[in-house]
Amino acid sequence: MVNHHIPSSLKEALKILDAHDCYIMAGGTDLMVVKHQRSGLLPNFDKDVCYISNLKELQYIYEDEKGVHIGAGTKYIDIQENNLVPDLLKQIIDELASPNIRNMATLAGNVANASPAGDSIVGLYLLDAKLELVNVHGSRIVPIEDFIFGVRKIHRHKNELIKEIFIPHHDDLNTYWRKVGSRAAESISKVTFAGGYELDDDKVTDLRMAFGSVSVTVVRDREIEKKYIGLTIDEIHEKADEIVEDMEKYITPITDQRSTKEYRLKVSKNILKDFLLSIE
Amino acid sequence: MSHFKNSTVKIDNEEKMAGLALFTDDLPAKDFLWCRPLRSNIPCGRVRSVNVPKLPKGYYYVDAKDIVKENVVNIIFSDWPVFADRRVNYYGETIALLIGPDKQKLEELARMTQVNYDEEVPNFKLKKSGIHKEFKKGDLESVSNDYDYTLTETFETGYQEQVYLETQGMIMWLDGDKITIKASMQCPYYIKNAVVRTLGCDPSKVRVIQPAVGGAFGGKEHYPSMMAAQMATAIVKIKKPLKMIFDRDEDLMYTTKRHPSKTTYTGYVKNGKLVGVKAHVQLNGGAYKGCSGVVLARALIAVVDCYSIPNLEIEGDVYITNTMPTAAFRGFGSPQTIFAFEMFIEHIAKVAGLDPVEFKLKHLVKQGEVTAVNGKFHDPIILPELVEKAMEMSDFKHKYALYNKPGSNRGIGFSCFLHGCGFTGSGESTIINAQLKLTKDKNDIVHLYTSQVDFGQGNRTTLKKIVSDTLGIPEEQVTHEAPDTDHTLSTGPTAASRTIIIVGYLCEKAAKHLKEIWKPGVEQEWIEPYVGPDYIHWDEDTMQGDAYPGYAWGVNVVEVSFDPVTYQVKVEGCWSTYDVGHAIDDRIVVGQADGGLAQAIGYGYLENMEVAEGRFRQKTLSDYIIPTAVDLPMMETELIDNLFAYGASGAKGCGELTFVGGAPALGHAIEMAINKNIYKIPANPEYLMEVMENEDH
Repeated sequence: MVNHHIPSSLKEALKILDAHDCYIMAGGTDLMVVKHQRSGLLPNFDKDVCYISNLKELQYIYEDEKGVHIGAGTKYIDIQENNLVPDLLKQIIDELASPNIRNMATLAGNVANASPAGDSIVGLYLLDAKLELVNVHGSRIVPIEDFIFGVRKIHRHKNELIKEIFIPHHDDLNTYWRKVGSRAAESISKVTFAGGYELDDDKVTDLRMAFGSVSVTVVRDREIEKKYIGLTIDEIHEKADEIVEDMEKYITPITDQRSTKEYRLKVSKNILKDFLLSIE
Repeated sequence: MSHFKNSTVKIDNEEKMAGLALFTDDLPAKDFLWCRPLRSNIPCGRVRSVNVPKLPKGYYYVDAKDIVKENVVNIIFSDWPVFADRRVNYYGETIALLIGPDKQKLEELARMTQVNYDEEVPNFKLKKSGIHKEFKKGDLESVSNDYDYTLTETFETGYQEQVYLETQGMIMWLDGDKITIKASMQCPYYIKNAVVRTLGCDPSKVRVIQPAVGGAFGGKEHYPSMMAAQMATAIVKIKKPLKMIFDRDEDLMYTTKRHPSKTTYTGYVKNGKLVGVKAHVQLNGGAYKGCSGVVLARALIAVVDCYSIPNLEIEGDVYITNTMPTAAFRGFGSPQTIFAFEMFIEHIAKVAGLDPVEFKLKHLVKQGEVTAVNGKFHDPIILPELVEKAMEMSDFKHKYALYNKPGSNRGIGFSCFLHGCGFTGSGESTIINAQLKLTKDKNDIVHLYTSQVDFGQGNRTTLKKIVSDTLGIPEEQVTHEAPDTDHTLSTGPTAASRTIIIVGYLCEKAAKHLKEIWKPGVEQEWIEPYVGPDYIHWDEDTMQGDAYPGYAWGVNVVEVSFDPVTYQVKVEGCWSTYDVGHAIDDRIVVGQADGGLAQAIGYGYLENMEVAEGRFRQKTLSDYIIPTAVDLPMMETELIDNLFAYGASGAKGCGELTFVGGAPALGHAIEMAINKNIYKIPANPEYLMEVMENEDH
């Protein structure tokens, strides 16, 4: 017997999650696909479902001195249209899925689904996003890379709910985004890359690189980034091939029905180099 | 304001846009039982036994043992069994139907049913020829020893899935002792004949009615006959109304696709002219021949496209493999060879140091010349005008000079092509024998009866328009209902770009005759048999003679940009000119032009379908990629009249014409953008990366 819970407040939702092991349904654009059976049959839910899409308490975007807070129930369409949201994230959402999906899906849902091909996650890694998780007892803050640990694998306790996504301010960060899909819209990514840098005159004072779709999770390595921070633009250009080589160990794509590992590897390297040479 | 000059509102616009049109799955079917195919999960082997679980009351299992008369689906070459009998030849072949009221229960029963096989080693290679055809023109030997340049190249084209909006579906019930069928279909009489053949029943005991149909593209030409034969076998046994609707993944994995091909050309250039071509066309027919012989014939007839080459040695084979049978799809064999030859003729021009554009124009066929199969181009040909107009619209020459250099990452290409309309040769007069009925009631309302299915392309509107225009009465005074085999004589299948050129012509002739005998206020009827041009003679066995009653012509220009970082192609512009004789409704023709070219461009660079161990790897529309509106530019199309003596107001066909030239025009543009040759479609980024990394291209 599977129960469907429709809480009317966050408090009630947390109580339900504390008492029952549930799928949490926000927009449902991933969950309904995963649980889909043949047409005319009900979705194949093997445990309870808790619906959070009507919780107004989770639908907000605001900023404080530290950064932007995006409530877990906020849909892509509302994020896309909000001026507080960093341009990189908006750019990612512009190319993501289709208008009908963007009208339903949430950013937090994309994070919780933890697909290696989840586009917005790449931007969140690059922007040092943190998640606030809540349960009946309280809340905790987790950096996104500590939350996702595999294909559709996340460190969420059964009684926890993502309450919000926090993105620190990055006023001086220049960003770069490439989504390689099989077509211009409604496309599951073959490779994604987000890059970021800050400059002080010709000195690179921050350098960030994050790949999606080429490993079990989004990949970013702060140690490699640190190695090159402090160099001049020219030095970065000269060392572009070396940086690509450093990052290559993280690019371990597979061949599947959408592309080949050879293509994904080659294009990942091309894009990284293109990003590095674009720094000016 | 519309810029269309002779367009009327499509009859079905309102019902489709308002969501009122009833497609097969929408039809009331309250007490119908669901049919759930049980399919083989190996590509090749003997079926030792099937362990069917104990079926609950009201559930049924129907297989080859229940066949009433003949276990074959009536297709051109009838080798495809209704139910696999003791052996399976491809992954997904239907072994049985599980039938019952509850879909979930049927899924459980299917999971519990165990098929025991003696597996055999499957063949996926093109090595076992099931159909071979060959012909010659002129004397190739005389030029193959005396030439300035020669070139041999091989081209490959992939599978293509139709992706009609509405998946395959059928409902069937007994009306007394009469089997009545409504389905998503192209050819009501094909379905009827398939049921009559497998049951061995009297034709009067089968009735096929067409509901609204959401797209077909050839995919519903033969496959519904299979479903009908299976369900008819079941209905004879259990005598309950039945319903079978495919989900999208089933439709992608278990219905027929376009034939993958591999074509090798050797050409000889002497004094700046392509004087001889030798070709071998290889098609993958899958596990059963079905209609593949005709697909091969049409591929071979188009083997040198619309170019005049005096000496030819042509052969072709359909290979039998342990994969899903391939069958009809818009273009029916010719897109494969037209792509290959268009690429080849430009490649060989380059090898000979000649300008590919001028080289192609120099070889365009002219009226009175001999066709590849030693027939004659009887009618006027306006290809030079089509080319000139298309080049002007696209600013071709300027762009060609601008982009044709290494590193431009931009390219423009054009293709010229023909499409034979109607059934091959004299088949319209000898095989189809279409008969069209017009009746007039006491209120002087004229009723038009055809077996042509309007699956979106607009013939309910255009055929009716031909009748009302010819009679000189308002459109509202003519009705044109969907086919019902109890009321409609066969005007043939909705296929082969024959609807307007053949049935449209019949409509015009019948209306002229009705006008001559018109008596106001009196019930009248006129039946018009098809009589084609008497100068068309064709020998199917030797592949010699006049291959088609008439030809339609076209030119496509495609412009692309190329991203050297990701190897992705973006289509930047599309311009087309067509000679369809005369457009009965120009907006409907432009609809075909936009849709056909979009589908062809998808075929050329996006639509990738691979087989691994006999199974299609792309099982959903997230993985089988067709272009979206965002992937395509606005398309510009111009129609130039060139009236055909045996067409309504001079009209020829246009359904397939708009498909056949898109992939090569795109291919040429890609070649210019990357400054390398390509030999394969889809030219997706994975393939283009190989081409860019490989020095040999």
